[in-house]
Amino acid sequence: MSHAIELQNVTYCYSEGTPSQVTALKDINLTIEQGELVGIIGHTGSGKSTLISHFNGLLKPTSGKVLIDGTDIRESKETLRQSRFKVGLCFQYPEYQLFEETVAKDIAFGPKNMKLDEDEIKRRVAVAASYVGLSDEMLEKSPFDLSGGEKRRAAIAGVMAMEPSVLVFDEPAAGLDPAGRKELIKLITDYRNKTGCTVVIVSHSMEDIAKIADRVIVVNDGMIAMNGTVDEVFSRCDELQSMGLDVPEITRIFSRLHALGFDVPENVYSVDKGTEIIRALIEGRRSV
Amino acid sequence: MIRDITFGQYYPGKSLLHRMDPRMKLVLTFALIVFMFVCKSFASLAVIVLLTVIAVALSGVPLKVIFKSIKPILIILIFTALLNIFYTHGTVQNGDALWISFLNGKIEIWDKGVYTAVFTMVRIVALVVISSLLTYTTTPTMLTDALERLLSPLKIFHIKVHTLAMMMTLALRFIPTLIEEIERIMNAQKARGADLETGGIVERAKALVPIFIPLMVSSFRRAYELALAMTCRCYTGGEGRTRMKQMKMKGRDLVCLFVCLAFAAGIIVLNYFAKHETFSIFGMLFFKQVI
Repeated sequence: MSHAIELQNVTYCYSEGTPSQVTALKDINLTIEQGELVGIIGHTGSGKSTLISHFNGLLKPTSGKVLIDGTDIRESKETLRQSRFKVGLCFQYPEYQLFEETVAKDIAFGPKNMKLDEDEIKRRVAVAASYVGLSDEMLEKSPFDLSGGEKRRAAIAGVMAMEPSVLVFDEPAAGLDPAGRKELIKLITDYRNKTGCTVVIVSHSMEDIAKIADRVIVVNDGMIAMNGTVDEVFSRCDELQSMGLDVPEITRIFSRLHALGFDVPENVYSVDKGTEIIRALIEGRRSV
Repeated sequence: MIRDITFGQYYPGKSLLHRMDPRMKLVLTFALIVFMFVCKSFASLAVIVLLTVIAVALSGVPLKVIFKSIKPILIILIFTALLNIFYTHGTVQNGDALWISFLNGKIEIWDKGVYTAVFTMVRIVALVVISSLLTYTTTPTMLTDALERLLSPLKIFHIKVHTLAMMMTLALRFIPTLIEEIERIMNAQKARGADLETGGIVERAKALVPIFIPLMVSSFRRAYELALAMTCRCYTGGEGRTRMKQMKMKGRDLVCLFVCLAFAAGIIVLNYFAKHETFSIFGMLFFKQVI
């Protein structure tokens, strides 16, 4: 089976040929497999957003190739157009892209651009709305009357309605409160479990990434600095910190506990697992 | 691509022109433009050209940059020149002034036509160079500030000069921000398969709706936020507002004023004495070289 997305030697320069030329990506080689959930982390300005804008051909690499399902997206106009539908890109603060009279119409914008028939569009709007938990009543409202969190979910539904095989989120939970954040992360994992879709998440939240990702890619200075499982990446705490990143807080607590001589593992990445271990530890002491 | 549109073309520097009081610059530029249209002969036009050259030299703005400002008007320039050459008939001197005639006199080129063509071209170029020199050496903020000060007498007609100037400053300030915003929204809609590049004019106009509605919404949001931020910093409009950077006329401004006055006097004198004689003499001198 071919890779969901493959980048071959992709380099990208902003304002090429002018004095203000900046190389945002340097010779990137990267594959994303079907059905994977990949987290991308990197400090501000490291090139994450530039990287994901290549996944659906919004940016044209200065050199190198982008392949989706084994096909070069720049092969023809049609493959480029198809790449937009195969890879759904959900930008940071997607609520600012809402424009239609009703939420339903806005969700239908993508499918309409795919030239699907009315019934199929309707079905997709309903399915996408159910994924993000928007009621029928909300679908008939103006998107500008929704609350912040609802707007965000409506915008995400707009991308989901295209039923892309890869869904890319740029900071999906930015600006949400902790509850909204949790809810959104759950929504994304639920969606992935239901559809088996490949998901890529760019985030600044190490906790979120550690909790849900199968694989973590660290982007630093336009290059891929690390690429591995949650364990592999977050065990390199010092390196991450030198890149302006960090490990999840719970991991730091546990490595400190470990250093203090407690009988706990160092590689704990989620609060849930941490709670479990601590509880076991406490109960173990009681029983002694 | 959209990022390449630059608005305001300030060229940073510390030249005399940069340091001049923007009010004086604005007034002098305006006066010079008026005088360009007062010129009747090549002699007086030469005075203006000389002044323009001196101003460019003083400004320290490279010629390459200056030429960039002429580029957009090249077509207009050629067009006016052609119209003048073919459609202005008549002469500026005695004797045979019909230079070329073909197609049984359907197309004729007279000396006056060529003169006028060259005259207008020089005039337009000088006009553009002088006015872009103003924007090259003055930041948009300084310019609006100067405008506000110069127009302040209009207050007696209850025109809110300060408010207008503040609106202009803010508008200029937000142009790059809006460009960025447009780019972002365009990318988001393109990611949803919006097709902005193909189709007829109606389809293209329709395709802009998903861009402009979010842009309007976010512009209003920004405006509210900005208004709030300004209110929080006790902005109440122009009444009683002082400035951090006081504009002060200095010796150099007066010197520039007198130089320009001298040049203006020269133009009037040349216009008065010279009239057609110089027109043709200078014209002929000029043409002997060109043709």
